[in-house]
Amino acid sequence: MRVFKKTNFNFIKHRGIAYIISCLLLVSGIVSLVTRGLNYGIDFKGGSEVVIRFDKPVDVGAVRAILGSAGVNGSVKQYGMDRAVLLRTDFHGETTNLKALISNSLATRIAGNPAQILSIQAVGPSIAADMKLSAIKALAAALIGILLYVSVRFEFKFAAAGVVAIFHDVLTVLGLFSLLGGIFDFMPLEVDQSIIAAFLTIAGYSITDTVVVYDRIRERLRGQKPSDYERIFNESMNQTLSRTIITSGTVMISVLILFIFAGPAIRGFAFAMCAGILIGTYSSIFVAAPLVFDWQKRSNSPIKLRGGS
Amino acid sequence: MKNNSFKLILIAVAALVSVWSIWPTYRDYAFTKKLGSFHSSEDSLKYALDHRSEIEHAKEKSLKLGLDLKGGMHLVMEVDLFDLIEQKAWNKDANFHRIMASVRNSAGSSNDNVVDLLAAGFKKENIRLSRYFYDIRNTDQEIVDKLNKESQDALVRAKEIIRNRIDQYGVAEPVIQTQGSRRLIIELSGVTDEVRVRRLLKGTAKLEFRLVKEPEMLLRAIERINSAQVQPTAQAAQADSAAVAAPVAGNTAPSAKAAAPRKLSDVIGVMQNGLVFTPDYARDYVASRLGSEELRALLPQDTELLLAAKPLQTEKGEKYYPIYLVQKTPELTGGVITEAKATFGADNAQPEVLMSMNEEGTSKWARITGANIGKQIAIVLDGSVYSAPVVQSRIPSGNSVINGISGLDEAKDLEIILKAGALPAPVRILEERTVGPSLGSDYIRAGLFSMLWGFAAVAVFMIVYYHKAGIAADLALVLNILIVVSVLAGFSASLTLPGIAGIVLTMGMAVDANVLIYERIREELDEGKNLRMAVDAGYNRAFSSILDSHVTTLSAAFLLYVYGIGPIQGFAVTLMIGTGASLFTAVVVTRVIFDLMLGGKFMTDKSFG
Repeated sequence: MRVFKKTNFNFIKHRGIAYIISCLLLVSGIVSLVTRGLNYGIDFKGGSEVVIRFDKPVDVGAVRAILGSAGVNGSVKQYGMDRAVLLRTDFHGETTNLKALISNSLATRIAGNPAQILSIQAVGPSIAADMKLSAIKALAAALIGILLYVSVRFEFKFAAAGVVAIFHDVLTVLGLFSLLGGIFDFMPLEVDQSIIAAFLTIAGYSITDTVVVYDRIRERLRGQKPSDYERIFNESMNQTLSRTIITSGTVMISVLILFIFAGPAIRGFAFAMCAGILIGTYSSIFVAAPLVFDWQKRSNSPIKLRGGS
Repeated sequence: MKNNSFKLILIAVAALVSVWSIWPTYRDYAFTKKLGSFHSSEDSLKYALDHRSEIEHAKEKSLKLGLDLKGGMHLVMEVDLFDLIEQKAWNKDANFHRIMASVRNSAGSSNDNVVDLLAAGFKKENIRLSRYFYDIRNTDQEIVDKLNKESQDALVRAKEIIRNRIDQYGVAEPVIQTQGSRRLIIELSGVTDEVRVRRLLKGTAKLEFRLVKEPEMLLRAIERINSAQVQPTAQAAQADSAAVAAPVAGNTAPSAKAAAPRKLSDVIGVMQNGLVFTPDYARDYVASRLGSEELRALLPQDTELLLAAKPLQTEKGEKYYPIYLVQKTPELTGGVITEAKATFGADNAQPEVLMSMNEEGTSKWARITGANIGKQIAIVLDGSVYSAPVVQSRIPSGNSVINGISGLDEAKDLEIILKAGALPAPVRILEERTVGPSLGSDYIRAGLFSMLWGFAAVAVFMIVYYHKAGIAADLALVLNILIVVSVLAGFSASLTLPGIAGIVLTMGMAVDANVLIYERIREELDEGKNLRMAVDAGYNRAFSSILDSHVTTLSAAFLLYVYGIGPIQGFAVTLMIGTGASLFTAVVVTRVIFDLMLGGKFMTDKSFG
């Protein structure tokens, strides 16, 4: 079976359209990040999260009212599981007290429907700040590492364009989280540790698709005149289009399975991965390679590529 | 062909080692199932006894499940090194306390080295560390080195003591690690009683025997406090008897949390018999105020006010905490305790803890009790007075008792922490994640489902899209998953829910290498090369992209492992193993399969779809 038999898209000619789309994505993401901000999970904000499961279906509003009157201030939402609610509060004292408060108030007010506390997570504000810092460090290290590696394997222009593409991908997904955060009950889209894991995986994976395209360009470029570059870039991208799409497709299958089956704890991660793979595939074709081409056109030195077979 | 037989052996070894490493996990599962299938508990017990060594062996070698799947607690605790440093300092004056407070404040949110921060703090004020620490002749650097060593020792000691306590409490396979200069990470799987565990971990277990000052001294001190605070209300507060104060306590309790800044004199009462107390609702507030600088200035030299550990009750059931005025310098500390035992008291059903002391402690204790007959000696644990018995006679045996304990569980916990010894500095819990076992089993089910569906979907896709070549990729994928699970089991790493997500993701990424190769082979075939040449060219030419993509994914996963915490590290680990293994399975294994198929003429141009 073949999805793409022989394609002949003129990617380079229409790169202006792609640049506009990318800019729109980035600008709307940044605007949303500035105005709406991000919905941080307790990992980065500090606070407590309690998952409570009831024996019978329960009205979330009623639970919210009961806990509110018991002095537990915070948000109560449906958790992505049957009969379960998620309580989020700023509380970071003794979880024993919090637990007692919740169990007692629920047991007395909803007597016919026993509740069970499935999990409690409490993160102090100081450690949350720490985690935020390590997350930023990890992302920065990943970008620098990829920049160095691709520079060594190809050329600095290729590496820089690849890192720009990754930046583009992560920022777009972050913007998406900011735009959609808190809208869906079944996935709160909060930025926590698992989302950072998704970003790092996206960063590592986004460059994979890009490298496939680069690799082909490098192979074809050898000994060619700069005037032929446009044709070579286009042909290379068309030739690798099929594998770019299929490799992303197989990962997409895995991620969708995770989104559907792996439960609420993984859903945010799966969503981030899903968006990241889509945008990463787009950017490796429409952002990374065209950027290299534009840069090359403006500089006078011909491409000197390292490595390759 | 020689080259191929080497590869074949390599693959066979990899597969065998994987199966060998996973085998105990299967056995463990089978045993658990078998034990559950018996109708009577005697049968299952008999079976368990008969196969005891096998069952234990399987359990020990089997794949460990993470806290999120099995249920348990993950804690991050901080050892208060500032407290330790304060203990080491002498000549402490207002300046010292001010600098300490500001350094403590600025260090609050980081995991930086405390001693360095402290040195910087003192340097900014142009004060030599030797003014407060060790010998006056030491240079700053020498003192920093010494304090650093003390801090490191304290962290290691804290870790050992906490391990000791947990071992005595009885948690299977606790994981206790140090992180940075002052944090401990503790993972306890299958813990059901978090309240007790928390009590075991948090107590510093600093036991002290201190002289209680005469009641008149206490009353005078309270008077001074009341009049110093706010003149007008002092009268009223003193007139308060227990009978008046207690109902007020009852009425104001609900709003107690909101009204934080109130006058200390309003919440300290004096009973007719001279007992000074504070009602239950004001305990935390009073406790925080008792240690304050201005209050300390009002007390006699070398004394301090301490609260009782447990409340007493009036006839109406209102709780109140007695307040004691005790000597600041302890007569004796917990270091002399050699043995502790939780029991019930002789006269009633009150639990208590019996302690015996070493030789040095015994002779000191005899002297102390002999010199203070008729006086009260307070038994203070972590800054709270457990009991303050009146010394009846000289005690030559080196025995002592802690009473005023609310239950046998607590008495047992006290026994454990007294035996394990005192922590070098107080600790506090920064982060806590507790997962109940029922949520864990939900996660396991969800994880297994996604693994099954993930594998099925990817495998079917590969066959549909690449036909026979897809089958080779799928075989390689099976080996890849086997390797991931076996490496986890072999290195006793535990499988978490994010770890399972990592495996599912790996399935999608591992076949990417095959996609790159197969697409290349199709291209070469289109150019008219014959099958064998196309396969060769496909593998050779695709390898550079495959290597690049593996290196980038591996390094991203590695960074995640370095900077991530707990469950996320599980994801990073499975992703790393899976990606690494796929370099072998997707490139070497499928190649061997193709060579075999080509040799046996099982392959045609159509085999790549």
